[in-house]
Amino acid sequence: MKILVTCKRVPDTDQKIRVKEDGSGIDDSNLAYVLNPFDAIAVEEALRIREEDDTDDEIQIVVVGVGVTDYEAELRTALAMGADRAILVENMTLMDPWTVANTIAAVVERELPDLVLMGKQAVDDDANQTGQFLAALLQWPQATFASKIEFGGLGLQVARETDQGIEEIEVPLPAVVTADLRLNEPRYASLPSILKARKKEIEIIPHTDLQIDVAAQLEVLSMKSEISQRSCIMLEDVNSLMEIISP
Amino acid sequence: MKTLVITERDASDIRLGSLTAIGFAQSLPEAVVETLCVADVCGENPTADAHAAVIAAAVRQHSYELVVAAATTYAKDVVGRASGLCGGSMASDVIGHRFDGERLLLDRPMFAGAVTATVTLNGSARFITVRASAYPPANRSSMDYLRPLDTASLAVDFSAVPAAQWKNLALRTSHRPDVTEAKIVVSGGRAFKSGEDFERLVGGLADGLGGAAGSSRSLVDAGITPNDLQIGQTGKIVAPDIYIALGISGAVQHLAGMKNSKTIIAVNTDPDAPIFAVADFGLVGDVYEVVPQLIAELNG
Amino acid sequence: MKTSFDVIVIGAGVAGLSTAMQLAKRGQSVVVLEREQLGNGSTGRAAGLLGQLRGTAESTRMLMDGVEIVLDLEKQADVEIYVQTGSLRIAETPERAQEIADLVTMGNSIGFDIEHLTQTEVAAKLPYMKTDDLLDACYCSTDGHLQPAELVSAYIKVGRKHGVQYHTNCAVTNVIITGGKATGVETEAGQFHAPVIVNTAGPWSYLVAGMTDTVLPTAAICHHYLTTRPDDSIKVDRFSPAVRNRHLRLYTRPESDGLIVGMYGEEATEYDMESLPRDFDMSAMKARLDDILVATLVYNANQRFPWITERTAMTMTTGIMTFTPDGKPFCGKLPDIEGLFYGAGFCGHGIVQSPTIGVIMADLILEGETQYDIAAIEADRYFDMPELQTRADIKAAAYQMHAGYYGNIEGSKQ
Repeated sequence: MKILVTCKRVPDTDQKIRVKEDGSGIDDSNLAYVLNPFDAIAVEEALRIREEDDTDDEIQIVVVGVGVTDYEAELRTALAMGADRAILVENMTLMDPWTVANTIAAVVERELPDLVLMGKQAVDDDANQTGQFLAALLQWPQATFASKIEFGGLGLQVARETDQGIEEIEVPLPAVVTADLRLNEPRYASLPSILKARKKEIEIIPHTDLQIDVAAQLEVLSMKSEISQRSCIMLEDVNSLMEIISP
Repeated sequence: MKTLVITERDASDIRLGSLTAIGFAQSLPEAVVETLCVADVCGENPTADAHAAVIAAAVRQHSYELVVAAATTYAKDVVGRASGLCGGSMASDVIGHRFDGERLLLDRPMFAGAVTATVTLNGSARFITVRASAYPPANRSSMDYLRPLDTASLAVDFSAVPAAQWKNLALRTSHRPDVTEAKIVVSGGRAFKSGEDFERLVGGLADGLGGAAGSSRSLVDAGITPNDLQIGQTGKIVAPDIYIALGISGAVQHLAGMKNSKTIIAVNTDPDAPIFAVADFGLVGDVYEVVPQLIAELNG
Repeated sequence: MKTSFDVIVIGAGVAGLSTAMQLAKRGQSVVVLEREQLGNGSTGRAAGLLGQLRGTAESTRMLMDGVEIVLDLEKQADVEIYVQTGSLRIAETPERAQEIADLVTMGNSIGFDIEHLTQTEVAAKLPYMKTDDLLDACYCSTDGHLQPAELVSAYIKVGRKHGVQYHTNCAVTNVIITGGKATGVETEAGQFHAPVIVNTAGPWSYLVAGMTDTVLPTAAICHHYLTTRPDDSIKVDRFSPAVRNRHLRLYTRPESDGLIVGMYGEEATEYDMESLPRDFDMSAMKARLDDILVATLVYNANQRFPWITERTAMTMTTGIMTFTPDGKPFCGKLPDIEGLFYGAGFCGHGIVQSPTIGVIMADLILEGETQYDIAAIEADRYFDMPELQTRADIKAAAYQMHAGYYGNIEGSKQ
């Protein structure tokens, strides 16, 4: 079985994100970048699927990043956690969920995985679209916001986090599954695994090689900061507090 | 603008979020708005794959320029896929908009809400999900002018839809949401003297607001609250819309677990408690007096 | 807003807060200027282990006196700060066993309560720890840890009571010198004036020193410790003793029904504080999932606690410590500028040293001397030393000290 996991490089959003003076984007000087936390959960899930597999099937885990060379650091993180191989599609000029989904679809056509695992969203754009776009392009079933994945039934039995409660569905493979927060807690890579990963390959594919002819559909025109210094308004009495918590 | 609003309903009525989506759609210039509740077409096996196919078919057959839905988990799942079937032009969680000439500019949050981005969509069929909290709902009288889409004439090729199977929905009942996912978190600290008091006051207020209950480390150490409620450096990290800190002093170890909350409200007897330095609203008072009043107001 | 004071304290970590409190108790008007929130830096990430018995009688006395101050603070602020779990030191090699023998001898000679324990006794105290390889162990019943959050809140509460003012989100951007004397500071909220300025800025201390072109030999080093989540099959009692396992470079203590395990490794991740963004938030620091020092921590922890692996549910706490070339802080004045005092470089032991350091700093500032023998921690001990003037040299020396912190055999000729 082959599992493809997408890995996005994102700023650490727990640190303060500042916007450039001219609003053209974020100020990324000295920002720490990390593997998108939801993608880390997806990588972890692939590792657990392999560890819990009791068949003789060899399970290969391939991670893919779409972006620029700096991405290698995050792919190395996934390899250190235990992924077997990494692919970096490089030098995309304009990235939005549509172009990224089309790019991953092209990689899927090359790699022919049985399962694509992705984070449900990336913490930089918080779009929560790419997985769904990918499933539509491939005409594969989708199981989004997964909080539990098991093999069985039609293929995969997935519990999904929804506003109303936990929804259970079954999807045949191949399928696209996006990971929600409670699916698992990603491991810190073990020492042997980190050392082993240094020998693993990152295959670099220039974007133009994939011959994807789609244009970005979403354009970001400007940004503004929402960080405000909190200044506490001291309330007079319980009634004022009531107004705020239940207007 | 010819617009299709994808609506959701519960057992009896259209959902409030959907009313917001309708309101948004109707506010656009030259709006011609039709609604579609896909569950009415695919009641038996409501998978995202099937629902998205229905929406895509509707968009193609009726040439909608705009598809709008409330930004719920349903819409993110289904409308996202539908957009993927129709060219991938989509903006999610829209919280504001304006026109620049003909161009529709949409505001949406990024970087966990630290940034608001203004974006625009290309493509012919544009899909938008709107945050229900950002727009007023359509009033009931304007609903009379709405036309539900005539689904009988929709031609959907279900053979192209993957054979996924919907199994079950375990409805969330009165059980509290998880502290990491709730929109409202009510959290208690050292002020609470017993597990019973915590459950009655912190739990009671959480239930009254439909939120989750959390705890500082000191209560966990004292055996008053279970460990999985602990919020902070060695516990859970949360970022709800509203965080109510009751009788919590505000040590940085606790702040590390909740300071990205959108609105922080603190109640403490000590006017110098550090929590007030990071709160948006504060009340100096005894939680044993304040909280019962709040609960009574919410239930009354 | 009042802007003139007797003393300006830069940095609201435990060193600054303790110093401010002690000065205020002696009638000084004090303002504490903090770039983030009070106690948000290294103090907010610390584990707070207290091991009173140190290499010298004097340093031991300082820590013991510190405990007395803490007990008094507990009463004044009505918080539990000192958790007296006792502490164990364990040895699995002959060299480390010799360290323990020397420690017990030294301790007994100054009347300190410390004793050897047998393997069986250790196993009884810590059933979740591997003990079958131990050659020796020693136990101090009066050790434990200080809870950093509660200590901070007590310093602030008592400080406020004596009139200390605190400004948060108020980074110092420059130190004002007039005629060879420090007279004030510039901050993001305007100027403050005082004839005495105290640099207790932790990892940023060398940057603040740089504002007066002063070389302060401190360096910022990254540190991690893990906290395991409660596990019904591993009962960690709240009063299980803290453990120092120097051979594996580990320290551990109980925390919220789980176990904290930290490591002073051989390798260090260095930080140039000037390369961090202005609003860098140490309390939001996190380790990368493939951080090799984290992996080494887990690897070593597993050797002493076989149930800890990378699959164990745990949180990782990452922070920055301030190290110096000899592992001791800089306390007092430097010869180059009048009115400027330093209290920085606590090498991961700031929490427990802070109560007495506050007293020492207040003594030095108000009287020019202190009853303690502070030769080992005097601020000027490296002043003008040619091999410790450049950042490169200072960092190299600090990292070497860090590598040997647990690595060196104490008492040996290394």
